[in-house]
Amino acid sequence: MTQPSAVYVYGVLPATDAERLPAAGIEGSTVRAIVDGDLAAVVSDLAGESLNAASEVRAHWRVLDAVAKEATVLPVRFGTALRDDDDVRARLLAPNRERLVALLQHLSGRVQLGVKGRYDEASLLREIVATSKPVASLRERIRSMPADAAYYDSIKLGELVAGEVDVRRQRDAQHALGALAPHAIEAREQAAGGDDGAFDLAFLVERDRIDAFSKAVVKLGDDVGDRIALRYVGPLPPYSFAETELDTGGAAWA
Amino acid sequence: MAVAAPTPRGYLERPKPSGLADVIDVILDKGLVIDAFVRVSLIGIEILTIDARIVIASVDTYLRFASAVNRLDLGTSEAQGLPELMQDITSGAAKSKTSGVLDAAKEKIFGDDDDQDESDDDEEKQQSRPRRRSSSSSSGSSSSGSRSRSRKSSS
Repeated sequence: MTQPSAVYVYGVLPATDAERLPAAGIEGSTVRAIVDGDLAAVVSDLAGESLNAASEVRAHWRVLDAVAKEATVLPVRFGTALRDDDDVRARLLAPNRERLVALLQHLSGRVQLGVKGRYDEASLLREIVATSKPVASLRERIRSMPADAAYYDSIKLGELVAGEVDVRRQRDAQHALGALAPHAIEAREQAAGGDDGAFDLAFLVERDRIDAFSKAVVKLGDDVGDRIALRYVGPLPPYSFAETELDTGGAAWA
Repeated sequence: MAVAAPTPRGYLERPKPSGLADVIDVILDKGLVIDAFVRVSLIGIEILTIDARIVIASVDTYLRFASAVNRLDLGTSEAQGLPELMQDITSGAAKSKTSGVLDAAKEKIFGDDDDQDESDDDEEKQQSRPRRRSSSSSSGSSSSGSRSRSRKSSS
């Protein structure tokens, strides 16, 4: 098939908020709303049957960011498309109406804030050598060996260190959650990326309580010192709190 | 644990608007899921390229940790040990291999960065960009002495 073949879906919001939408979406196409009762889907038309994920993820992000400035929106996971407008109504909005409305009510007036921690690797490793006897002694042994004889011991040492890093990750994530969660409605822990990731946390916060939350973030920053660098981003659309698998009311379109 | 002068934390006083780099993980992994099958058929192979960020070869990571720990100078000759460690961290072979994959994907996604991202990611970029650049030009200088048993920059 070569004719316009799909409707790309960005998110779902209350129909009353569907009037002001950003102009351009995926592949530069016009962003519009498909209204069904009290719900609306934010969509744009997709010309082909494929999508360059690497370049279009930016458009997806921009549309949701712009919509979220004006309204509460449930982000749909990147890369979701349905066949046409009827399909959006019949397979997204209608069969999930109650859940979507309830979720929108739950998220109304609330935003997602992200707090990521990243280790200062040098001080993390120093701390591990200083506190772990097995790491310290294996390290001493390897340092006294010729390089090529130490290969397997090096893997062993690295494995020990990685284990110690994991222990600290869990501890530091719990510490951060304990410090920040009391100022949020909900919290989610995501996998911290990279070798130096300490934690990656998402919080659902009342829009008018952001300042109180920020104070807690500053205090956490003081607590962790230079050991962990914090990154604090938001307000975001509630990506991490709209995570639910919906009914599609029929067989998948292929 | 921190012994250096405390860093001012004014930048934490309010959340920063996100750059795409901050939210790429949640965009790809979170949100309403309507139909996983449709998603896969639409996106095809490109989404796999991005997910390569998750794949980190364990052995490479272990070896990198090991060599970084080995090079750690725990006291007296810190002046020599620390730069060496930093260099190893930024230019170690395992790191450059894995971050190379990520960078390639990132460049595809984040290339042509616009104004907003530039201003948002300031701390991260100011720190990491110059470091990355300088590490490639100076990685050869760590090879003196018998202790530099870790792999040199493989690029």
